[in-house]
Amino acid sequence: MPTLLEAKEVTKVYRKSGHPSLNKVSFRVAEGEFIGIMGASGSGKTTLLNVLSTIDTPTSGNIWINNVNLKSLNHTSAADFRRDNLGFIFQEYFLLDSLTIRENIAVPLTLQKLPPKKIENMVRSLAERFGIASQLNKYPGELSGGQRQRASAARAIVKKPSILFADEPTGALDSSSATELLNTLYEANKELQTTILMVTHDAYAASFTKRILIFKDGCIIKEIMNQGNNRRDFYESIAAEITKLDSAR
Amino acid sequence: MNTISMAFKNLRKNFSFYALYILSVSLVITVYFAFTSFSMNNVMLEKISGDGRVESMCKAISVFLIAFVIFYMSYSNRFFLRRRTKELGIYALLGYRKESILSLLISENIIIGIFALVMGLVSGAIMHKGIVFGTTVLLNLSIDNAKIPFFNFIAVADTIVFILGVLFVLALSNARFLFKTSLMDLVRFEKSAERSMKFRKISALLGFILIIVGYGLALDIFRGNASLWFSVGFYPTGLMTAMLIVAGTVLFIASFLPYAAQKSKRHKKTFYTETKIVTVPDFIYRIRSNAKTLIMLTLLSAATLTVSSVMALSLFYPIAAVARIAPSELEFRIEEEGQLSGAKLLVSQYAPDNSVTYIQTDIYKVTASAEKLPMEYSVGTSKGSADNENIFREAGFECISYSQYVSLLQAQRRNDIVGKLSVLQDDECILVKYQPNADGSNETGSIYSLNIHDGSIPLTVKATTLNNPISFANSIGTMIVSDNVYEQIKSGTVLENSIVSINGEGIEDNEKLFEDMSDLLDNSPYLQGHSHRVNEIMSASSSTFLLIGFLVVLFFIATGSILYFNNISAVSDSKADYEILSKMGYSNKKLKKILRKQILTFFSIPFLFGLIDCIFATIVYKTGLMQDLLGNTITLYFPTIIAVALTASIYFIYYFVTVHTCYKTVLNA
Ligand SMILES: Nc1ncnc2c1ncn2[C@@H]1O[C@H](COP(=O)(O)OP(=O)(O)O)[C@@H](O)[C@H]1O
Ligand SMILES: [Mg+2]
Repeated sequence: MPTLLEAKEVTKVYRKSGHPSLNKVSFRVAEGEFIGIMGASGSGKTTLLNVLSTIDTPTSGNIWINNVNLKSLNHTSAADFRRDNLGFIFQEYFLLDSLTIRENIAVPLTLQKLPPKKIENMVRSLAERFGIASQLNKYPGELSGGQRQRASAARAIVKKPSILFADEPTGALDSSSATELLNTLYEANKELQTTILMVTHDAYAASFTKRILIFKDGCIIKEIMNQGNNRRDFYESIAAEITKLDSAR
Repeated sequence: MNTISMAFKNLRKNFSFYALYILSVSLVITVYFAFTSFSMNNVMLEKISGDGRVESMCKAISVFLIAFVIFYMSYSNRFFLRRRTKELGIYALLGYRKESILSLLISENIIIGIFALVMGLVSGAIMHKGIVFGTTVLLNLSIDNAKIPFFNFIAVADTIVFILGVLFVLALSNARFLFKTSLMDLVRFEKSAERSMKFRKISALLGFILIIVGYGLALDIFRGNASLWFSVGFYPTGLMTAMLIVAGTVLFIASFLPYAAQKSKRHKKTFYTETKIVTVPDFIYRIRSNAKTLIMLTLLSAATLTVSSVMALSLFYPIAAVARIAPSELEFRIEEEGQLSGAKLLVSQYAPDNSVTYIQTDIYKVTASAEKLPMEYSVGTSKGSADNENIFREAGFECISYSQYVSLLQAQRRNDIVGKLSVLQDDECILVKYQPNADGSNETGSIYSLNIHDGSIPLTVKATTLNNPISFANSIGTMIVSDNVYEQIKSGTVLENSIVSINGEGIEDNEKLFEDMSDLLDNSPYLQGHSHRVNEIMSASSSTFLLIGFLVVLFFIATGSILYFNNISAVSDSKADYEILSKMGYSNKKLKKILRKQILTFFSIPFLFGLIDCIFATIVYKTGLMQDLLGNTITLYFPTIIAVALTASIYFIYYFVTVHTCYKTVLNA
């Protein structure tokens, strides 16, 4: 598989004297991968997501997505880059409250100036896949947390981004809603070939991915591959790995 | 940390946020203090009000003013409290007792109050001086400025006591709010309005219909005597129209606008665009949750615009009409021998002879016959038909010659009119109208036969004019005939009157001269003076206008600031939304565009409604209540246009400031 994203010696220092939040991080993500980022709170996961997604700029190092060096982007071209290539899911659902679910999912498509007919069709078919077709005319306030998070996942995926960034998307969900969302992401990755980079500190959520990078103090300290096809086995090995790391503290 | 230093720290941290609050409160204090100083300024009041009229008006306005200050300060207090609630909730979570949070809030309010008071008192004193200066210049008053103190201490005390009183009441209401609201509600105090809503088609349509009917009723006044305004009566119809428009405006804003916006979503081509998909739902949401504020602002701005436009019109109209009522700087009728030379002698004491022109016009009155004679021919011949004179006048045309007409106009420096004249033939005349005919007809082309001793002279009306060269006090039914015809009339008719018109820069705006002239002529009612008339009107109405001006300024500050705070609060409440949009790939440019559109919509609703209401009200006022001396010239609407333009620019400044504050709020995130 060709490389979609490459980070090389990426460092981020917020305060000059302080410890770097990211310390010479290098890795690659291939097209179609579902990758998990794990680590304790404060280990630099959100910081990584922010610099990868052009929302923040690294202090040093280079990042390429689709062979574009993010350094070469200014404010406006970064916005266009996000519009054309990136999708986001956050821990809080971050839907626009005054828009219906349909309108919320449609926003990224209007930004790409697609014709209305096409927008409506894309929104409907994705909503069906995500199990929220009957909620399209409702407002976010009328939905459950799980439905809202699936709506925001739909909003992120609908424009077929090159890569989808998810920052603890299950963090605010109960376990069954979390499972539904993870299944949806898993299927989107499998069937639509959406590349996903998901931050989580939950071993269960991480077990839906194919590869896991474990962060500590701004560095990747471990990589775990999903060897087989059995999610349960992968879960066990992640859990074991985390316990090992914890006891090493 | 004690609360005072915590309050100071808070103020420093959120400087721009509080600067605004201080500025807006001090603005209100400025107006209040300037007004209080003015109403306690006896030096001034003695000059502009002899009969206590201004004093009683001041009292009435001060009631308004007090109500306004209380309303405004509690509105902004609520606004700022709302913005602070979450933070206060977090203090509570951290274990601060509600008492200490309250004392933090009160300390903040006291610091803000003191800053605003100091600023307001200083700028209020400056504003008061400015008003005094403006009035003195405008009314030509002789006032010893040194006698008027910069700070009137009674006014200062009054203002301080009043403002502290308001702050105290606000502190009480904040305390009530704080103790009544649970901890959880404080932390979660965010936008809580219903997102999903019903759209009422019937009230939407009703709103639309009521407004159209209201405006239709206003336009009905153009039907003249047949209209409801005359058949039913001006005041009942006016009340009806106002009620229809107010009710219509309420429904239009509360129902029609959200309904129309909801319907506009159906037009997919325009709705599914990067801007509309955000702004239209946001508009629906905001107009639903802010309908009350918006309706109030709309009515307030309609009232402000209407009052200022009508005020400008009714001050400007009589002054513009002076050109007809007293066209010459000084004009009198020779009633006794020697008056002309006496007048010349008097004027020469004030101005060099070469700067003054004297024109004596001999008027000959002739009777005429025709199918239909104009109203001016017989005006004043029976009791009560003339406007304000009860002197009987004999019917007839009062003839002057064309060359006299031209030289009078030139002396009055109305050269633009002279330029448009062409020489009169011997069978032609120009008829001076008292006012345009109500039905819009015109005597041009009519033939009047003037009866002179040896027969009659038929004259065709070449044109009618509103540019009378001689005041109505001295001549009505003036007819301008060619020089030859004039000579013919003169040879066989008894002289009616000799009028002396005195003009020239040297004698302009000289009240002393006018007084002396009046003495010289034994207080003759036929003495008319242009500047004198203007000054009379100015001093009779200026105090009224000054005070209404106060109210208008107040209304402006109110509308502008409320719009400002409302927009800022809406935008900062949905700060997260803009963050999301930015992450999705909306560039700052696009976000700015969205912000501008959202804010513009909210500014334009009260402004446009106010403008339309003002236009209709001005039309009704002008058509129904004002004398029509000047005809329908565009110049008449100048003051209205200026009033509207001023309003527009004030709105624009507020809009501009609001947009920039919102940019800062959203894009610095
Ligand atoms: N805006 C910021 N300013 C200063 N320090 C920050 C900022 N954002 C994050 N940090 C620091 O960077 C480190 C990593 O934070 P973050 O990436 O949010 O961790 P995680 O998401 O893994 O919990 C933390 O020590 C945090 O204090
Ligand atoms: Mg994080």
